[in-house]
Amino acid sequence: MTDFVRAARQAAQRIAAAEAKGTHAFLAWSEAALLEQAERLAAAGAAGPLAGEVVAVKDVIADALFPTTCASKILEGWRSPFEATAVRRLREAGAMVAGKTNCDEFAMGSSTEWSAFGPSRNPADPARVPGGSSGGSAAAVASGAVTMALGSETGGSVRQPAAFCGVAGIKPTYGRVSRYGLVAFGSSLDQIGVLGKDVASAARLLGVISGRDDRDATSLDRIPLGDPAPASRSLEGTVIGVPAEYFPAGLHPGVRAASDRALARLKDLGAELRDVSLPHTKYAVPAYYIVAPAEASSNLARYDGVRYGLRADGGGGLADVRAVYRATRGRGFGPEVRRRILLGTYVLSAGYYDAYYRKAQRVREAIRADFTRVFAQGVHALFTPTTPTPAFRFGERTADPLAMYLSDVYVCTANLAWVPALSLPIGRDQGLPIGGQLIGAMEAESTIIRIALALERAVDATAEVR
Amino acid sequence: MSVTRRDIAKIAALAELEVDDAAAAELERQLTRILDYVAQLSEVGDDAAAAVDERAARLRRDVVAPDPLSRSPREIAPAFQDGLFTVPRLGELDRGDAP
Repeated sequence: MTDFVRAARQAAQRIAAAEAKGTHAFLAWSEAALLEQAERLAAAGAAGPLAGEVVAVKDVIADALFPTTCASKILEGWRSPFEATAVRRLREAGAMVAGKTNCDEFAMGSSTEWSAFGPSRNPADPARVPGGSSGGSAAAVASGAVTMALGSETGGSVRQPAAFCGVAGIKPTYGRVSRYGLVAFGSSLDQIGVLGKDVASAARLLGVISGRDDRDATSLDRIPLGDPAPASRSLEGTVIGVPAEYFPAGLHPGVRAASDRALARLKDLGAELRDVSLPHTKYAVPAYYIVAPAEASSNLARYDGVRYGLRADGGGGLADVRAVYRATRGRGFGPEVRRRILLGTYVLSAGYYDAYYRKAQRVREAIRADFTRVFAQGVHALFTPTTPTPAFRFGERTADPLAMYLSDVYVCTANLAWVPALSLPIGRDQGLPIGGQLIGAMEAESTIIRIALALERAVDATAEVR
Repeated sequence: MSVTRRDIAKIAALAELEVDDAAAAELERQLTRILDYVAQLSEVGDDAAAAVDERAARLRRDVVAPDPLSRSPREIAPAFQDGLFTVPRLGELDRGDAP
């Protein structure tokens, strides 16, 4: 038996054990598919930087081996005729794809409760959500099924579930990873991200999938990031900004305690902590919920029952193509996707475009300017909590879309500003993981990964914080 | 900003999305609440923004490349005939709801 086949078999056992507990991290996986990949890698004598690693892939990222459904009825059973560049690169690096992970439908949500195929459960507490939208990827890593996973972010969808599940998650600079094969949601915000059992695992995966791709016109003309530098024991000379807007008076006491402890460790490591202000932070969620739905309403126009996916035609009884469009989309899309398509259509419609969409774009520029100003003042990275609370219970926020949107208040700023950001576990409160966030300047992934590797060694993320 | 049933009907038509009465009533309330929330953006002056990022999208050479699809549209489409996607004919456009 080759090392690849052994790794595939062991991975299949881990996935089966985790899924048997009801995690429902995966929408599709199979031992046979893993073994097929292992035999192909063994025959090719693969020896890349991820040789023998098994990586789970969020179901909004195209792969020809498994269905790509975006956790939506409109793409149920759909098999992509091509694979995403990020998936191709991880295979070229010697990794196998474990399967496709659950998420909110078309990555629209913060809990996986909007998956058309049922939610995933948080391995730390099965009565609570894993976060979202990349909740299946986070739960797959946290359950021990895999050590690495691909997710995607439009407004914090890697970092928020990473924090809720107690794993590491990185959202790279916009353009760092090719979006080719990532199903489009909000094209000016979307970016493939990575999750790992620790910061180094996530960083190694990012190192492989990053780099220029001619198939994505927004991809940056940069070489891949490669492996991260080894963790340093000192952060002497590193200036870490602490933005007041992310630490409001009413912050959850467990989140505050974990953040305070992490800041103390950063200081112990020699970092200089500096109070800073990002005054437009409070406008990030409202700006996001105009820009993202507007772009979604345009991107999701392609699901019309004509070229691929579901067609609802009343058994051929609908005589008008527009009736087919409406029936297909009305029946194929779930409630949150419908809500966002309609919200996006509204803010882009005649008479409202300037008041909403143009205004939101101006506010987005102001949010970006906040970050640019702080980083120009010698701050190397910002430290904040990743989420305002630990993981919430199922059903707590589905009846109130706005309450769900506000769980992304600390993460969607980095998407609007295109800057890189990551979340790492910094402690537990009543058993629930708490995430700490590091935000960097444009293209400064290596800086935030260096700080995160040092902090990860200095903080006991499994310890209760109060 | 109050979203009305008529607004829902109009945007549902623009978005080519079937919305039944029960869903329309809930959407009226939810979209009104969301738009009330995002209205706080009017507090931000237009002078708060920095200069727009000038990085231009890099264009690739306009060359014909092999089709990377592993399966043809024929195998993917709900209905396909003689090299064409087939759909029911386009009915009469209603002046009231057509964009």
